[in-house]
Amino acid sequence: MNKIFNINLGGYPCTIDEDAYEELKAYLKAIRHHFRSSEGYEEIVADIETRMAELFQENLNGRPIITNQDVEIAISIMGTPEDFGAEIPEEEKVKTKSSKFNIKTGKRLFKDTNDQVVGGVCSGIAAYFGIEDPLWVRLFFVLITISGGFGIIAYLILWAILPKAETAADRLSMKGEKINVASIAKTIEEEIDHFSDKISEWGDEIGSKKKAKKKKVKYETV
Amino acid sequence: MKLENTKAQMRKGVLELCILSIISEKDVYPSDIIKQLKKHELTVVEGTIYPLLTRLKNAGLLSYYWQESTSGPPRKYFQITDLGKSFLGELTETWNKLVYAVNQSTKNINQ
Repeated sequence: MNKIFNINLGGYPCTIDEDAYEELKAYLKAIRHHFRSSEGYEEIVADIETRMAELFQENLNGRPIITNQDVEIAISIMGTPEDFGAEIPEEEKVKTKSSKFNIKTGKRLFKDTNDQVVGGVCSGIAAYFGIEDPLWVRLFFVLITISGGFGIIAYLILWAILPKAETAADRLSMKGEKINVASIAKTIEEEIDHFSDKISEWGDEIGSKKKAKKKKVKYETV
Repeated sequence: MKLENTKAQMRKGVLELCILSIISEKDVYPSDIIKQLKKHELTVVEGTIYPLLTRLKNAGLLSYYWQESTSGPPRKYFQITDLGKSFLGELTETWNKLVYAVNQSTKNINQ
């Protein structure tokens, strides 16, 4: 048993089962990410969506619901970003040549705003060097600050020049992981978990503040 | 240096020429282009040609029109423009010269 969804795929109505829907969503997300800087981005994505809808229609042969298998067949015809990956390196090569600060392994230094005490600089550095606990980097900065004050200046400079790791792809290249459909989906899932954790934290905080207020009021009335 | 990458780059280089040439024969739907290419054993996934078609269209080499389809959403058919035709002519000329040059340069391998 599975839930089904009615979706609008490239202007065409489709009925799709839940698992297949998730797979299709991850695929289209990867496609959008791949073409995001291409000329005519909107049009390319719209064309691909419409074609996917048509492929489903051809495959279904009168069956009412799109399943995982249909999605996989359509993806194999359309190809994944890895399949047309050969198109991208050309642009990337130009980038690495023109800027000296780009690291060739694909790893880049970011501020990790998901795990920040001050600006996320230390956790970004920890992610870059694969140090599991950013506490060590933070301790190091504190240490060089105490022993001469250079730490604060270095921190402020890094804070100013490092970009924030905002997208899933940023977060992957921060850790030096390969960017593909599966890894982006994984990172997005992690981020959603992280976000819901934060929300429940806020919820708890607000709750405890309210309680505190109530207590105060009680005391005043007493 | 990866062999697969080099192969893909080679294919990609000639893809524009092939696409323009196929469209110059008759108006086509993108999946027809793929079928034609496959028939001649140049296999590419469909996702590769959508960005190419969009680029060629934006450059004024191709235009498109909508056509109703019995099996799904309306289809975008592509046709070549006059500018596209002269572009194709020049590309073909360059290609022929290139084939000659490559053949001459790689004579030692084929013997």
